[in-house]
Amino acid sequence: MLRSGRMSRLLLVLVCVGTLHLTALLLRWAPVQAQAPEQNQITVYSPQTSYSVPLIDVKGQPYIGLVELLEPLGSVDARPDGKKYKLHFTPPGGRPGEAQFTDGKDKAKVRGQNYKLSASFVLQNGRGYVPLVAVPNLVEKFLGTQTLFHPTGRRLFVGMAPERFTLELHEGNPSRLLVGFDSAVNPTIATEPGRVRLTFRHEPVAASGPDNVTYNDPLITGASFSEHDGIAELDITGTAPLMANFADGGKTIIVTGAPPPPPVAEQAPAATPQTAPSTPAETPRPRQPATPRFLVLIDPAHGGSDIGAAITPSLPEKDVVLALARRVQRELANRGIAAGLLRNSDIAISLDQRAVSANAARPALYVALHAANTGRGVHVFTALLPAANVSAQSFLPWDTAQAAFLDLSGSVAGSVAAELEARKLPNATLLAPLRPMNNIAAPAFAVEIAPPAGKVEDIASAAYQEQVAQSIAAGIAAVRAKLPEVRR
Amino acid sequence: MTRRIVVVFAVLVAIAIGLGLYALHLKRKVARDEQLAAQQQLEMAPPGNGPPTPVTLYIASDSDATLRKTQMNIALPVERSESARAVLRALFAAYLQSPSPHPIGAGADVRDVFLLGDDTAVVDTNSAFANAHPSGVLAEELTVASIVATLNANDSKIQRVKILVNGQERETLAGHADLLRFYLASNIGQAVKDLQ
Repeated sequence: MLRSGRMSRLLLVLVCVGTLHLTALLLRWAPVQAQAPEQNQITVYSPQTSYSVPLIDVKGQPYIGLVELLEPLGSVDARPDGKKYKLHFTPPGGRPGEAQFTDGKDKAKVRGQNYKLSASFVLQNGRGYVPLVAVPNLVEKFLGTQTLFHPTGRRLFVGMAPERFTLELHEGNPSRLLVGFDSAVNPTIATEPGRVRLTFRHEPVAASGPDNVTYNDPLITGASFSEHDGIAELDITGTAPLMANFADGGKTIIVTGAPPPPPVAEQAPAATPQTAPSTPAETPRPRQPATPRFLVLIDPAHGGSDIGAAITPSLPEKDVVLALARRVQRELANRGIAAGLLRNSDIAISLDQRAVSANAARPALYVALHAANTGRGVHVFTALLPAANVSAQSFLPWDTAQAAFLDLSGSVAGSVAAELEARKLPNATLLAPLRPMNNIAAPAFAVEIAPPAGKVEDIASAAYQEQVAQSIAAGIAAVRAKLPEVRR
Repeated sequence: MTRRIVVVFAVLVAIAIGLGLYALHLKRKVARDEQLAAQQQLEMAPPGNGPPTPVTLYIASDSDATLRKTQMNIALPVERSESARAVLRALFAAYLQSPSPHPIGAGADVRDVFLLGDDTAVVDTNSAFANAHPSGVLAEELTVASIVATLNANDSKIQRVKILVNGQERETLAGHADLLRFYLASNIGQAVKDLQ
């Protein structure tokens, strides 16, 4: 009886402690209920582009935003209508199609046919989400092309097969492992003692043989390929420190033993010749030769928890500008101009991070995209800074780096405004104290789109955005010759 | 005994849920009170104590993206910084009326204007000014340009203007306009020309 009483009191104490923890959790939950779920992602590869899309967790299942998934693959116009979600999609050069989903239901209609999702469709804050497992089939229905999905690696290949790489071990002193690709690659290379890791974020690579290979070699002992969260990794292990070099224009990566560090006290003789490589194809090239290039860097403003302006309660600026950025990128590509996006998914980047990334990319032109419901039409901005009498080649102050490029920036902005005018879009060219444009060390301008005449929601319409994107791309193409190419 | 534990557990869970809801309620109440306090602060602001004097306001208009030069008479204190504050309050009052040509956040106010030397003004606004300001490049540019141009138009010695929020530096007004820098009246003048 006495023991039973003690047990009861012990249980009561445990229950109280547990409940206090629950209370603390609930109190903690109250102010942070809108916090974003942990980020994981899928990477989509198509012949035109590759991009990553964040996934959200719905009742333990990964879900993906339909607009984020389809926008880089074509023209998307999606609108919630009560519990329904209507989506129009047109692949490049393909026929337009419609789909309709209902919040909480697994039945949908895609291109006029009934379609059953593996789990219910979810409508959150005006954005439509489908279960990840339904994605390959849905993309096939929308695009009419075949897909290949690697579910464990969360990698989706649309209208293309993965590019297989080959492994070739050349035994010797030291041994070399040649990793061969069909086209040039640019993985992140990380080394640690006895290991080299190649991480492929944008390349659709896959192993041509078994994922794990073991070598009976005194230096290189094995290679293993893996995929996870939309990235592919090739791990090469050895018995000594390893290093990786690019060869054959980036189509081959040579992994071999790292040279021993030079003695600290001694200087290497200046005239010591290096050992000649055995074949030209295998010559390690520590640095690519400087090649001129013309890159336009597009910066869709805001992202993640920073939604920007609320165009409508369910239409944040961050979504409008990401869609516009992808259209501008496509229009520039149609005119033979390479363009990159500073963000290609719904992620938060600080203003300083944007400026640092943009300056590190050394673009020929930087374009910031914004959207608002103030005014009407399109406003083109250049930086509101006093002109600086400094050369663009010299050191530039961070706060006013753009001042050295104001003439060129104004020239491109004027050209874009002329293209907007030609398309009869209301426009104005203005100066603005806009960050991070002030910190950009390259010709730069910003575009803010406001709704056209009519409904505010039309700011996200495919027709309006297409006209604006064409104007921006045509304006840039018209003055391309004036903008200096950048050497890298 | 088991039933007693279940009852105690249920009571404690109910208390936990109640506390969670109460915390949520408190959070909303604090936000409401802050907004109300900001509004009351504006309503209770004392009028200027000087004679009615003509002042120039650069009033922004969102519909056509312009700044319009407007004359009006307000009671203007003699002291320079007080006078600058009174002029900016008249500008904010024009934006806070309904309908407004350029709406700014309800309760927006100028807490103080500090003059550094002869040529620099530091404008300290309240948090309602920045927190509730419409977000957008154009909307924010119009606000900054109208503040700087209005100050310079009524006190030509003011050549540099810095905007603070609640006594603190802030990166941007509402996500776009840079508030970390000093604005030059001569530089803003070019923007004002474009906006007319």
